Amino acid sequence: MANPIKPDKSVTTTCAYCGVGCGFKAETHQGRIVRMMPWKEGKANHGHSCIKGRFAFDYYVSEDRIRTPMIRSSIDDPWTPVTWEKAIAHAASELRRVQSKYGNKSVGAISSSRCTNEEIFLTQKFARAVLGNNNIDNCARICHSPTQFGLSATVGWGAASQHFDSILQADVIMVVGANPTEGHPVFGSLLKRRVRQGAKLIVIDPRKTETVESPHIKAHAHLNLRPGTNVAVLDSIANVVVRERLFNEAFVKERCEWDEFQRWAEFVSSDRYSPEAIGAEAGVDPELIRKAARMYASGPNSTIYYGLGVTEHSQGSTGVMCLGNLSLACGMLGREGVGINPLRGQGNVQGGSCLGSWPHVFSGYRFVTDDDVRKTFEDDWGVTLDSEPGLRLPNMFDAAIAGHFRGMYIMGEDPVQSDPNQGHIIEAMRQMECVVVQDLFLNETAKYAHVFLPGSSSLEKDGTFTSAERRVNRVRKVVEPLAGYQDWEVLVMLMNAMGYPVKYAHAGEILDEIARLSPAYKGISFDLLDRVGSAQWPCDENAPEGTEVLHREKFPRANGRGTFMLTEYVPTAERTNDKFPLLLTTGRILTQYNVGTQTRRTANNRWHSEDVLEISEHDAKSRGINDGDRVKIASRFGSTELKAKYSTRVASGIVYTTFHHAETRINVITSDLSDWATNCPEYKVTAVEVVRVEKRDAAKRSKSVTHTETVPA
Amino acid sequence: MSQSQEHSTSTFPSRAIPIERLIVMANQIAAFFAPYPAARRAEGIRNHLRTYWDPRMRQDLIDYVAGGGNGLSPYVNDGVGLLVNGGDKKGYYGPPKA
Amino acid sequence: MQLWSELRELEDGIDYGTPPRQGSPVTLEVDGQSITVPSGSSVMLAAAKARRNIPKLCATDTLEAWGSCRLCLVEIEGRSGFPASCTTIVSEGMVVKTQSEKLQQLRKGVLELYLSDFPAEDVEGGWSEFHDMLAQCGVKSHPYEPAETHLESAVDASNPYFLFDPAKCIVCNRCVRACEEIQGTFALTIQGRGFDSKVAAGQDQTFFQSDCVSCGACVQTCPSQALVEKSLFEGEYSRG
Repeated sequence: MANPIKPDKSVTTTCAYCGVGCGFKAETHQGRIVRMMPWKEGKANHGHSCIKGRFAFDYYVSEDRIRTPMIRSSIDDPWTPVTWEKAIAHAASELRRVQSKYGNKSVGAISSSRCTNEEIFLTQKFARAVLGNNNIDNCARICHSPTQFGLSATVGWGAASQHFDSILQADVIMVVGANPTEGHPVFGSLLKRRVRQGAKLIVIDPRKTETVESPHIKAHAHLNLRPGTNVAVLDSIANVVVRERLFNEAFVKERCEWDEFQRWAEFVSSDRYSPEAIGAEAGVDPELIRKAARMYASGPNSTIYYGLGVTEHSQGSTGVMCLGNLSLACGMLGREGVGINPLRGQGNVQGGSCLGSWPHVFSGYRFVTDDDVRKTFEDDWGVTLDSEPGLRLPNMFDAAIAGHFRGMYIMGEDPVQSDPNQGHIIEAMRQMECVVVQDLFLNETAKYAHVFLPGSSSLEKDGTFTSAERRVNRVRKVVEPLAGYQDWEVLVMLMNAMGYPVKYAHAGEILDEIARLSPAYKGISFDLLDRVGSAQWPCDENAPEGTEVLHREKFPRANGRGTFMLTEYVPTAERTNDKFPLLLTTGRILTQYNVGTQTRRTANNRWHSEDVLEISEHDAKSRGINDGDRVKIASRFGSTELKAKYSTRVASGIVYTTFHHAETRINVITSDLSDWATNCPEYKVTAVEVVRVEKRDAAKRSKSVTHTETVPA
Repeated sequence: MSQSQEHSTSTFPSRAIPIERLIVMANQIAAFFAPYPAARRAEGIRNHLRTYWDPRMRQDLIDYVAGGGNGLSPYVNDGVGLLVNGGDKKGYYGPPKA
Repeated sequence: MQLWSELRELEDGIDYGTPPRQGSPVTLEVDGQSITVPSGSSVMLAAAKARRNIPKLCATDTLEAWGSCRLCLVEIEGRSGFPASCTTIVSEGMVVKTQSEKLQQLRKGVLELYLSDFPAEDVEGGWSEFHDMLAQCGVKSHPYEPAETHLESAVDASNPYFLFDPAKCIVCNRCVRACEEIQGTFALTIQGRGFDSKVAAGQDQTFFQSDCVSCGACVQTCPSQALVEKSLFEGEYSRG
């Protein structure tokens, strides 16, 4: 039959693949998803989609999804399938045992940006109210924690100032350390539309990405800086803005702290930040720095989009502050067409940030050290809460090695694959006495787990995601959870088993609790979302259907004014030398998502079946490497192997790869350096050397990789 | 980690995470606040430690400074000084509330 | 603001035929009914707002009007001939007629031509826009003798997620335009002229080999399921 099956049911929901937050109609036929159709009323996608959201959904019925809870007493033992009751009881008693043996603070919890807002919120409640400490973190730690820090410090809120459509009113678009056409494809298409209509495009990125040049698109300025020099280059742009008096004095006087501006202006106008001085340091033509500064400052509407190329550095937070400073100085905030916007990697990074899965803040970015705030949570939850910040994700691993941390509950995260300096993480995981992993698959981290609780995909649960534009979108259950429970239901069982009684009839009641305890979410409920489709926070009595553009009249700081931070360029300690003369930077590709847990299980693998190392022909030939050769890449932390590919996207001295495949083990070589303020890892800069692997070795090696890939059952 | 630091820190009994990590983290924080005037610099460092660090990490740093603070930026010492006797406000050290 | 209403006023389950605009109000009459729409709107959109849906194939409200399928013809008072409603912009006081015997005859003729080069066995049981148009215009068969058709052209099933069956392609150009206007990849073109014209990915490459990024915009917009998701078929795709 050449006529297709006609779906018999359709559920409107939100894609979980990236921070754009596309609306989809998930169409089913006899209970099985047969098609994902982009929703025309989706406020982020307006009926458009990318390969991931549109087609890569089959992972949810992948054969290796775990359908039964499992336990084991040692990570060297095989898994034993057990009932839900037994698994939950075991996890509860083991976590309590570890706490009684090593202390209250010897355990913690990790949530993921793949989880719903409700699950993220519940995980922090679990840590604070049930485990009784603030050892709660989430994967935004390793991607956008500097966004929260750097934007809060300058403009007041660690979130995008605009909505995506705002770009249609931009005259100048500055993209820093992001590659939207691959990482955020639907927004990338919108950006390209705007550039085709005549907006100017500035790209600051070491790599000549598809955003820099593609059919009918060419960046007006591409600053292909050396990895690790963002702060230097952004300070230099500021230098030009100040010295040429391109800043918006009226805006700064009316909306910002003038004294702080003056201090900043004097700081950045120093000769050490002149385009000539920085151009040499960063490998950028000084005239390009001037051009970018003049273009951005002249607008009239200039907007900034940035990604992990800004945050994942030892000066990640400083880099974000630079962007905040620049947009304040040029008056590019508080209206349509301007702004400063982080592009979030995972579907719910913004939600992860908002909802208190952090060791130092509750939901709504309110500090655990703040007695008034803590009291509202204590009153609502009926327990006394820890008044001191807890351990961050990387510090949990450090503490495990130091002997002070022994148990973890991990929902939907795979730190062994995704976190830097893998050898260190594995050493830490081996110290643990109780690791509870809740996931769709036996991921890399599950190899070191004692309890495995089968998770539910976003197609199998109810809740909300908050996209990169602060938009709270509804996630609706399309099919029944494969293992019987939605993730939040599993956590509720665990909380009850650990002696903290909680009861929610449905996920909407958790959202109601979020709204009750978090001012920016005050007006958000399932009812509202069912009625208006989606809403951007802040959403309250002043903005009953949400807020599209932030900072229109004042900044959310005590005095309502934006402020300027001094952003000294401090070169990273990770430097090239004779032994490791190349700089490795990492990124993403269109067809794969994050660590690939989902997309590797779909036909998307046909486009990107392995991570390859992009290397300039010059660097390759000088090492005797042919296009397609297998190479060993080594840093001072470790080494791994992959295939080399000649590329004109990277300059000589720089190599690039993606981290989508576990077998590449790229995080074996990434460094243990991290952002000064938030410990966000410096994924974007690692000094490496690349050598060709002889054919026979390569064959042997690939065999052993296949072997280790087999997950213990 | 350089050899000399490892030597000087190997006997430090940490409460939470290895002292070598703390030293790196503290020095990075100090480097950020370096361009600020002395009083604000010390307060900035103190507030950061107070708001973002687990108390055990803070106490380790205080003890380490008391023991000579080998390998630490002098700015860290100023910040830690405030932490110890700068009129601990008890509690909130975040940015001014909106 | 360009593209503002074009994106923000799209509605689920409704296809206005051409993108919503946001000009000053213009009032016209469609089949005796008065309707006010923003200036710059097409007659097709005005009719859709008046719930007088004009048959169409090459038009859809996510793409700029193209005017090639000749199905959306209307009669406008004071104008000769049968203008295409998708490319005709509304004006104050315009009087439009979307239904008449002559129009029905013209539309039927157009659809019969399309049908003569469409797999006969897939007319029954199909659920594409093309099938909807056949139903709306009451066309079940065509009077033409067997002639040269595209039924022998090879199916391109190279992409793991969707296939292209040239036998069902009506060369409306929507896929090409979606790739350009919506996705911005410019991977598709129409090659050749007349009967030989066909949708091509890149320089005579398969979809998989081409620059196509599999965003799905072309599949979504295809009115005749010539581009169609493989997930909607049990097993291999076969004609007939």
